[in-house]
Amino acid sequence: MAQINFKDRFVSRKYKLLNWLYIAMMAIKNGPYDMTRDLIKYPWLWELLKVNRLLTKLTEGRTGNYRKAIAMLIHEVTKEVIHLLEGIFHRSDMLVLHEDMVPPEILRAMGLSPWMPELLGILLPLLEPRAMEQYIDVAENEGIPPDVCSLPKAVVGMAQKNRIPPAVAVVTSNLPCDGGMTSYLYVQKNAKAPVFRLDIPHNFKDVRAEKYFAGELRRMIAWLEEHTPGKMDWDKLKVICEERNKMQEYELELWDLVSQKPAPLTAEAVYLGHLWFFNVCAGLKSGTRVFQKLVSLAKENVEKGIYALDDEKYRVLLWNPPTLHAIDLFVWAEKRYGVSCVMDSMTFNRLPFIDTSSEESMLIGIGRNIMNGPMARHTRGPIENYFDDMFYIVKRFNIDMIWMAGHIGCKNTQALNTIMREKCRQNNVPLLIIDYDLSDTRIVPREGIFAQVEHFMENVMHAKAKKIA
Amino acid sequence: MTAIVTNLQEVLSQPQNKLIERALANKMLPVGYACSMVPIPLLSIKPLFPVRLRAAGITSTELGDLYLSSVICSLSRSLLEYALSGEYDFLRGFVFVASCDHLRRLYDNLAYCQNVSFNHILDIPHRYSEASVEWTIDEFQRFAKKLSSHFGIGIDNECIMQAIHKKEELHAILRRISEMRKLPHPPFTGTDYHRLIVATQIVPIDDAIQLAKEFYEMVTQRGKVPPQRARVMIVGGNLDDPTFTEIIESQGALVVADRYCTGSFPELEPYETEGNAFEIMAKRVLALNRCPRMMEGYSTRLEYILHLYREYAVDGIIIESIKFCDTWGVETSAMVTQLREMGIPVLRLEREYRLSGEGQLRTRVQAFIESMGK
Repeated sequence: MAQINFKDRFVSRKYKLLNWLYIAMMAIKNGPYDMTRDLIKYPWLWELLKVNRLLTKLTEGRTGNYRKAIAMLIHEVTKEVIHLLEGIFHRSDMLVLHEDMVPPEILRAMGLSPWMPELLGILLPLLEPRAMEQYIDVAENEGIPPDVCSLPKAVVGMAQKNRIPPAVAVVTSNLPCDGGMTSYLYVQKNAKAPVFRLDIPHNFKDVRAEKYFAGELRRMIAWLEEHTPGKMDWDKLKVICEERNKMQEYELELWDLVSQKPAPLTAEAVYLGHLWFFNVCAGLKSGTRVFQKLVSLAKENVEKGIYALDDEKYRVLLWNPPTLHAIDLFVWAEKRYGVSCVMDSMTFNRLPFIDTSSEESMLIGIGRNIMNGPMARHTRGPIENYFDDMFYIVKRFNIDMIWMAGHIGCKNTQALNTIMREKCRQNNVPLLIIDYDLSDTRIVPREGIFAQVEHFMENVMHAKAKKIA
Repeated sequence: MTAIVTNLQEVLSQPQNKLIERALANKMLPVGYACSMVPIPLLSIKPLFPVRLRAAGITSTELGDLYLSSVICSLSRSLLEYALSGEYDFLRGFVFVASCDHLRRLYDNLAYCQNVSFNHILDIPHRYSEASVEWTIDEFQRFAKKLSSHFGIGIDNECIMQAIHKKEELHAILRRISEMRKLPHPPFTGTDYHRLIVATQIVPIDDAIQLAKEFYEMVTQRGKVPPQRARVMIVGGNLDDPTFTEIIESQGALVVADRYCTGSFPELEPYETEGNAFEIMAKRVLALNRCPRMMEGYSTRLEYILHLYREYAVDGIIIESIKFCDTWGVETSAMVTQLREMGIPVLRLEREYRLSGEGQLRTRVQAFIESMGK
């Protein structure tokens, strides 16, 4: 592992300082009284202040452009979180709660401020591993069965504790799973706002499904125009879609670069950007800039013959969302075994760019993105998508093994684990299924996750572990 | 015990019962289905006949657990177990609905594990609207084409309407029987009624009508069942084992109303009998709002339960759901709170598909009846 030099330290400090600067500016803009009130009303804001701890955690031992890419990504995400919070603080009359499989691009094109209740269930465990457990307990005490996915359970808990900001409307869907879909019963109850539900077909691959879903999106737009002050601006939507396409172009270039062995950038430098900029705020200029920067950092590494890892020994495909409360899994695995996570199921997709030539084509394109989003295409969708994509990625990115983040609450994927084992065996791809829960450390703690990886690496891959200081 | 009850018990005791055997001997083709949202009339066009998938008498689910994992509902695991162990070999095909995460993955795993000659999954929307009705009509038409080409049968509006009329003939008898449950002292128990309802879902329609007629005759000639401590209604998802009802009734309750997937409501709501058959089936499947997977239907489901509660003079409601069922699991939590706020006694039971924890079930029902002051 390369030594951390002055430049690396400077990079971390620079972005940490910038994070604080933006947080301070947000507090000043909100004013001391309102900020104090909001900190009391939404105690989860305190957890967001721990962003620099995450930066330290994810840059530990990483050097050069790899370190720079991750620090930059965390900073850009921080800026965007602040931007979203401004919607809560200053534009509550335009605030719309949207479930994670509802396209925020449309809400933004309507001049509305989107807030995704699931967002905190994803963000907070990265910053504070146990952050969601209090909300999970609230949901279970309410009677929600403990076996329901912890993400919707956390949303129910937050709704019950009034930790979700009040909004003018709620938009949800039947995705990504039954638990996610039904949890909005509680969001609806507590939000006391009108609710709209998008219906998304199961077999989404044909034109019929695309048209049906585009119709659903039109219905959503009409409903939002009726129930909120938002008005659809198709020109604005076109700009958003074009920006998203540009970002996607850069991402494809990035994938070409990381498919090289050894990879110039890996892990969070590849998946964090996609997770945030494609799912939460697609179509922003900042997203395009981020991906442009990632590409230039990766290219520079390739030109100089520098790689993310000094000694990349194994290339892994991560299946399912990353282990949120043990987010430093790859920081550790890189050092210990030379494992490089070059691709993951949440990031990978094979979709055409959005055709911006007409209103209908934009809706079809946005709809296609949602229907092919990982939680729809893989987690819930027909089995073919799951395995076809999996082994395509293995080939395309020179993958040595698959790590399945086997979130216990994800019934859709749990029910495919045995087929996955058999198919991996047939394709000679070593498979590790990590037993854990997405946001509840009490099911399997971080150490338990690392121990499973250790057993696999040493017994199946016969890897030699390096001592980590 | 009367002959008809013995007959029903025999029919329910195993997947390939004597009536199915007779149908097979008559060259009829049984097709298994696993969800109430399947358009039954399409599977009732001769020589096809629908058989609701059950795993009667299942004792373990090793293969089901292996493939589907232990976090999938035990109904799905049991059905897969039976399919893989050859219990459904008499079936000529399977029809599923992408109705929940569990049944979708059951379909996927079955397709992977077994070379099933006809295995179809229907994609039915999660809400009722003009667009969703159109989609469902199209979905059913595609399904009809597939059935037609695979089994070599002609399917047109007329023959589907005939199947609908036949189904309605059965429902009319069942409704007459069900009405008697409104009496202060009905002439039959909830257990016997449960046996009848489930039996009619697993035999050819003519046999089902015959069973219903015999049951009707029996109950009109028989006296009332002895007075019970409390009249209860069972609400929930799949419940195809009448022993569950029997245990509830063994504690002094009388099950007078049922609102679950394999029960009589909302299934017995009358069919439209004039018009385009595909449209009738599509509207019915979407409008009956049986399951919490219909994401906009919570309030109407609750209203329907309250309607039955009043109509059947129910004292208390038992909401049962199979463990790991997300849709019923979450909805039940909200529903129990709301019903209790209305002052309605509610017992929530989370259970396995296979009858287990019998002693515990008895104790809980007993305590529930006592809590109602009965």
